[in-house]
Amino acid sequence: MENSELQSIWKSFDTDTQQKSIAELNLLLTSKTRQTINKFLTIIGVSIFVCIGLLIYLTITSLNRPNDPIYLANNIVLGVITILSLVSGLWSWYKLQNNSYHQPLKNWLEARIELLSRWLTGRFSKLNLFLIPFLYTLIVFSIHVYFEYKPFLEALHNEESVIGLIVAAPIGLFVSYWSARKIRRYQLQQLDFLKDLHRRLSGNG
Amino acid sequence: MKMKSTKEAFLELLNNYQGILHKVSLVYFRNRHDREDNFQEIVYQLWKSYPVLKNHQSVGSWIYAVAINTSIARVKKNFRIEYREKIPELTDPSNFAEVIAQNESLQLLLNAIHRLDEVDKSIMLLYLEEKSYEEIAEIIGITKSNAGVRINRAKERLKQNLNNTSHGKQ
Repeated sequence: MENSELQSIWKSFDTDTQQKSIAELNLLLTSKTRQTINKFLTIIGVSIFVCIGLLIYLTITSLNRPNDPIYLANNIVLGVITILSLVSGLWSWYKLQNNSYHQPLKNWLEARIELLSRWLTGRFSKLNLFLIPFLYTLIVFSIHVYFEYKPFLEALHNEESVIGLIVAAPIGLFVSYWSARKIRRYQLQQLDFLKDLHRRLSGNG
Repeated sequence: MKMKSTKEAFLELLNNYQGILHKVSLVYFRNRHDREDNFQEIVYQLWKSYPVLKNHQSVGSWIYAVAINTSIARVKKNFRIEYREKIPELTDPSNFAEVIAQNESLQLLLNAIHRLDEVDKSIMLLYLEEKSYEEIAEIIGITKSNAGVRINRAKERLKQNLNNTSHGKQ
């Protein structure tokens, strides 16, 4: 098939049948903008709600246990990690949403690859894999010890606690590690896909 | 005289160039729902980057760049199941499929394009739209000479796919 033939076949494709009116385009834009804002508010809202809830719980439980330094340390570490995770999570999400789609394809790929690589293969890229199980452990300790109404070390020496921790902790740790790993694998696949496209544009592929 | 608002000016511009959005969506997505979602996403991304339009040499190249980048960003997302937000049902959606179904050559060409990788799809689309090497180089972000080489390679792959598709039909 000749090159000009390909172009004439393509030309025969008439997009006028799909032409939308200005009012319809306006409706599409308005609904998409509203959806995006709602999604943004939902993510921000839920994250802040969960974090504030956790921080209130940590504050109340810590105030009720002023004489248990290990319990207080557990809650403080948990609170600090929660706040840092909230800030960094929202910041990363904001950065990813603010793509400069108007750039040439190659530049856009480079910017997106750089951003994703920094998270997924950078110095602290595997932190989440360990942070999520660690957070889970601290939360379990905090709740369990508080409702045992005993000091931290004493509560953990209890036979029921030991059995509970031996059974429940590995399951929880496995599920949280597995979830974090699954998300990371999906993101790595996405990064590989973009890298492959970029390689094709830069190299001889 | 009443001055046009920024949004009105944008919608008018979009109205004149919306054919590009349909064609880019058609090249990247086989499924009607995906094409509609993609069309809406491109409209939104164009609106977001509308303030930088003045930095571009032509409106067309700006629209192509945003449309191609947005589509590529969405291609991978479709591998996972995600909540589909309800978008307004507008013009008769079956019309589009009918137009393609009535034109066998176009159907073959589209099938062959769908089998190209994402980079070749964008290059082939621009070539079929009769864009100059300069424009293709600007939209893709490569040199003019490189654009020439890539167009030839993409054409070869497309023709190979076309042969395979037409042999497969016989």
